[in-house]
Amino acid sequence: MADTQDNRPGEEEDDDEEIDDASYKTIKDAVLFAIDISTSMLQRPAPSDDKKAERDSPASAALKCAYHLMQQRIISNPKDTMGILLYGTEKTDLKDGDNTFQHCYLLADLDVPSAQDVKQLRDLLENEEEAEEILKPAKEAPTIASVMFCANQIFTTKAPNFSSRRLFLVTDNDGPATVKQDKDTAITRARDLYDLGCTIDLFPISKPDHGFDRTRFYDDLVYPTSPSDPDAPVAIATTTKIAKSGDGLTLLKQLLSSINSKAAPRRALFSLPLELGPGMRIGVKGFILIKRQEHVKSCYVWVGGEKPQIVQSSTSHMADDTARVVEKTELRKAYKFGGDTITFTPEEITQIRQCYGEPIMRIVGFKPLSLLPLWANIGKATFVYPSEADFIGSTRVFSALQQKLIKSKKMALTWFVARKNASPVMATLIPGEERYDENGEQTMPPGLWLVPLPFADDLRQCPEQLAEPRTTDELTDKMRIIVEQLQLPKGVYDPSKYPNPDLQWFYRILQAMALEEEVPTKPDDKTLPKYKQINKRAGEYITEYGEEFEKVFATVAHSALSSRPKAAAKKRPAAAAADDDDDEPKPKKRIKKETKVKNEDGDDGLTDQQMAAINDKGQISKQTVAILKEYLGARGQAISGKKADLIDRVQEYLENKGL
Amino acid sequence: MASKEAAVYILDLGASMGEKRHGREVSDLDWAMEYVWDKITTTVATGRKTALMSVIGVRTDDSDLAGIMPVDDGYENITVFSPLKQWLLSDIRGLQGQVKPSSTNNGDILSAVAVAVQQIDATTTGTTGKPLKFDRRIIIVTDGRGTLDTGDLAQITSKLKDYAPPVEVVLLGVDFDDADSGYKEEEKDAQKEDNETTLKEFVEQCDGNFGTLAEAIEQLAIPRIKDVRPTPSYRGTLTLGDAQTYDATVTIDVERYPCIMIAKPPSASSFVVRTDLGGVGASAQSSNTVVGDDDHPMDGQLSAVRNQRVYQVDNPDEPGEKMNVEPDDLERGFEYGRTAVHISESDANVVKLENDPSLQLVGFIRAEDFERFMSMSRTNFIVPQKANAQAQLALSSFIHALYEAECYAVARIVVKQDKAPLLVVLAPHITPTYEALVEAELPFEEDMRRYKFPSLDKKLTISGKTITEHKDLPNAELTQAMSDYVDALDLSEYDKDDEGEPTDYAKIEDTYSPMLHRVNQIIRWRATHSDPTLPLPDPPQILTRFSAPPPDLLQQAEAQLETLKQAADVKKVPPKTKGRGKRSRADRDKPLSGLDIDALLGNPKRVKIDANNLVPSFKQALAATDDLDAIQDAADAMAAQIRTLIRASVGDSAYGRALEALRVMREELTELEEPEIWNVFARELKNELLDGKLGGDRREMWWMVRGSKYGLIDRKRCFASDVTEEEAVQFYK
Repeated sequence: MADTQDNRPGEEEDDDEEIDDASYKTIKDAVLFAIDISTSMLQRPAPSDDKKAERDSPASAALKCAYHLMQQRIISNPKDTMGILLYGTEKTDLKDGDNTFQHCYLLADLDVPSAQDVKQLRDLLENEEEAEEILKPAKEAPTIASVMFCANQIFTTKAPNFSSRRLFLVTDNDGPATVKQDKDTAITRARDLYDLGCTIDLFPISKPDHGFDRTRFYDDLVYPTSPSDPDAPVAIATTTKIAKSGDGLTLLKQLLSSINSKAAPRRALFSLPLELGPGMRIGVKGFILIKRQEHVKSCYVWVGGEKPQIVQSSTSHMADDTARVVEKTELRKAYKFGGDTITFTPEEITQIRQCYGEPIMRIVGFKPLSLLPLWANIGKATFVYPSEADFIGSTRVFSALQQKLIKSKKMALTWFVARKNASPVMATLIPGEERYDENGEQTMPPGLWLVPLPFADDLRQCPEQLAEPRTTDELTDKMRIIVEQLQLPKGVYDPSKYPNPDLQWFYRILQAMALEEEVPTKPDDKTLPKYKQINKRAGEYITEYGEEFEKVFATVAHSALSSRPKAAAKKRPAAAAADDDDDEPKPKKRIKKETKVKNEDGDDGLTDQQMAAINDKGQISKQTVAILKEYLGARGQAISGKKADLIDRVQEYLENKGL
Repeated sequence: MASKEAAVYILDLGASMGEKRHGREVSDLDWAMEYVWDKITTTVATGRKTALMSVIGVRTDDSDLAGIMPVDDGYENITVFSPLKQWLLSDIRGLQGQVKPSSTNNGDILSAVAVAVQQIDATTTGTTGKPLKFDRRIIIVTDGRGTLDTGDLAQITSKLKDYAPPVEVVLLGVDFDDADSGYKEEEKDAQKEDNETTLKEFVEQCDGNFGTLAEAIEQLAIPRIKDVRPTPSYRGTLTLGDAQTYDATVTIDVERYPCIMIAKPPSASSFVVRTDLGGVGASAQSSNTVVGDDDHPMDGQLSAVRNQRVYQVDNPDEPGEKMNVEPDDLERGFEYGRTAVHISESDANVVKLENDPSLQLVGFIRAEDFERFMSMSRTNFIVPQKANAQAQLALSSFIHALYEAECYAVARIVVKQDKAPLLVVLAPHITPTYEALVEAELPFEEDMRRYKFPSLDKKLTISGKTITEHKDLPNAELTQAMSDYVDALDLSEYDKDDEGEPTDYAKIEDTYSPMLHRVNQIIRWRATHSDPTLPLPDPPQILTRFSAPPPDLLQQAEAQLETLKQAADVKKVPPKTKGRGKRSRADRDKPLSGLDIDALLGNPKRVKIDANNLVPSFKQALAATDDLDAIQDAADAMAAQIRTLIRASVGDSAYGRALEALRVMREELTELEEPEIWNVFARELKNELLDGKLGGDRREMWWMVRGSKYGLIDRKRCFASDVTEEEAVQFYK
């Protein structure tokens, strides 16, 4: 065993006992796309001049969706697997040299997607010749039963112990089995899949002349509940219709929207009793609907071989005194206290953490929603929905509560213990109304949102402020016009309009590097303000505001300045005091009415020139840490580390500036 | 950073302190020490080197001034227990042995104050002879039953006030009369009454604080909140428009400070029990250690833990094998799907989006339509740059404009160079003393999970019809009962403020973090109660105050609650049927159409286990029969397949499938209440795996079985099992 002591930063053992919800989402998910390749699925819409007209055949729309989902899952669920199975193709290839399943073509094996998979799929979508070769319907299509069994085998071998396994079936054929015997076999094979723990998610597509009738065949194959989410009813995907020319809503868009709502398997974060009063409990489940999506953390790559390989690391614990390897069970937790340690037995630790009783969501009382200020927020909210698993009748009681809270604009103050060992929090349950888009698709589910509240211990003081100057009514009015001019569409914030620019950029670069393609240079950042529009819509009002500001400031400035405390100056080195007037270290973008930073406030510390002078004299190590930190901080540089680090950083900074 | 502190505790240890008075169960001294220990341990817990403490006992049997001054006349019966220094756990333990009532009542509190002043003076004076910047405090705890010599009082008082800031004197009297709280001790003896007056006058003259011990102990229950000096997380401009391209833009110099920051309980570190202590007395050195340990039972027995990491990759030459690699051969990279993307040190910034620090307004939204659950972070204040009148005026107009227009702003913030931009909501926050914007993060498109949930106010049938009467929908009676109950349990005017006006109950300012204060309480308690057999104390009542509705309000709402229960008619699912298998065929899950598939297949009596369809055929085989032999046959066939899988596995290639088969088998047999069939197999399998009977070294497979906890089914999991929980745990070893 390699005897390496790892001392790289950021890899110390995490000491926090709090379990965050990350450990709960580790449910592994496998999705197998099965796309029907038939003449009708490959039928392209008639060419049209209309830009919004349909361009994709159902099969290519399905492939585009798969492509989209694959890229999205690399970002959002990097550990989950995905595969694409085409059935009804002339070619047969299951990547295992086996020809048991004729006319099934495994485009991408069920695995965590690789850059190659992404590239192959994209090439297929872009390169028509290649596409024609693969996307060629067989004269005799395989039975749907054998497709089901093929999926069964793929799931069994490639995703044996995944807790969520889903078959996404895209087809326009609502009656693939005509003979009773074939139909019976298909039904049996579908049940095998269900018993295996796989869900069939059907994404039906209507033909132009014929709607998709689920009852003809598929209702015998699809089950109302999913094994990984037993008591929440599955929302059934709507049928995608081939759009008439020019109606804007393309097949691709509809299909994407259906598939997006199933992109990640739904799984409850917790399942708890909600106590409305003594002896009055119902069952609820919590779901994470909002969570900051971060990009993958960097990992170690081994470059000693032909191809870079991801390194798996494992940690073992070692006693510091004897260098003996110790098992996890031998570890004891101790608190540092007064130069010594204070220990508790594991039983005592349990007793300390669990002294507030069983996990529960207990309503303490009700308050108007207006008593929940925006500042009282410590993190994301959790969506809460009723469950009948423990208490029959939960749904109707929950529904009554939700409707009452919406109607009276109230919230429920709640004592919330999420799990055993979890710290209790005060939280409030606020009602969430069901919302739909213009096509009647649900955009916000109905339920309650659990918003955790801060405790008195978490409140921080706002820094003290001078009593003057304050705005005047006239000045406020001028600003108010600007505010009213620059409303976002419909006056609401719509997250779907703002992809995370950092995340998108990261994966665009990573994808390009993985495929060894040219790295893009210009990010597409939708979060940047629309400067042109701002200027057009509010430019003149801003100018008016500027004029009013000058006027008001002239009258208040005098009194404000005189009431200012004697320069709240920090310690400044003598060198800095020498030239006090022209040391503006960073250029300020501002219009004429804006202020120059008052220099005697000393907030900006030394200028670059001064620091360079000190450095040249070799006196930089004589500066105090506070001065160095202030200097670095004012330039957006890191201020962590020891004094030597700070000095290095200052010198590096000066060097980059050419000083 | 808090300033330096020097605190001297003067403890009255006179014989009279040993008595139990006024029906209390503890002696006056023990009662007083509750307060003193709490204060001392709180200071020790901060671990601050600049928080100095000392303890002086007065009315002690002996006299020992530790050389601070000679034991002159009038300074007898005073003991200086500790120099003025940072206290450690060992100091606490040391003091514990010394704090007990003496057998004398001689000794003068005021002399002790003089000693304390001397001690403070000696420690907090700089080398130049000037007093250093310190917060100085003297805390006196006494029952006022000693004798006092007031001769030097004026001199002491003036000395105390000499310092800047003056020494703060705190006097805590046991059963002192107190006009503020209205306490008056009955049948007080005359000397105590005199002493009380003297001491209170003394405290008044040096502008100190006086309180009764009862009050002080009551206040201990209120958790202390740590003050943190605000530090800005962003300093820059709030801008509207692009000042580089357009003339008409607004720029305000602002700073960003935390508004909410979660206070976390102290975290424990990992240690391991030392094993090298076994040979006690084997060498002089180790017996020394053991002797040392007697004083601090917790010290010396734990050793720190170091982490050792091992790096492995798949061996390119031998598929299925892993090999260790040296950290020196490793570079940074990222995973894109299962592809490793190597990024050399020099390219590290290529994945970063370049951004200058900024706070830019994107647009405005209506406050009323803002979904409160959209704010997904702790909050910050945005305030004008300090002492910048223009910035303050401009931000003030902006805050008021938002307030009057009933709008929030959406803005894009980049906190530091090249940090990822975030979208935030800005809300006006106006108080009598300050004006600010409150900022919270908003979700991006990728942060929203678009799950769909069925409606709560209507039901859709499969055919698409809407129905409004259903067991999952509340009827008129339930709706009314809920409405009445919610209104009855309203907290918005339940509490009373200082003027007795109705006010909001359970305000955030009144709620204390239960876990934070619980952990702190227990650590402090253990510091002074090292006996491991003592039961841990319960959490103080103030931490559980808001864990349930206020009892009297609940009582008022009793009728409404009763009506609600009637109308709701909620039934608990009996534990027996919950999660139990769908044993009879009729109960099996059916597809959407409700088709009975078994009937379709002619209800076969026996289903063969099919190696290519292992899990489903096993489940179907069990569902087809109630016959024990048939179950045993199915289990045997399944077991045989599992063995085959393991035997045929190249490396760990088939372990996953075998594990899944084990899981299903274990679960199904638990549900069928046939744990014995499983347990017999599990024991056999364990031995076969460890003895290498399944095609070579299969220990790795055993580790996986163990890790997945697919061991014996014990009594807790299934009542029919004869395996105890203890045995089940042993099985894994």
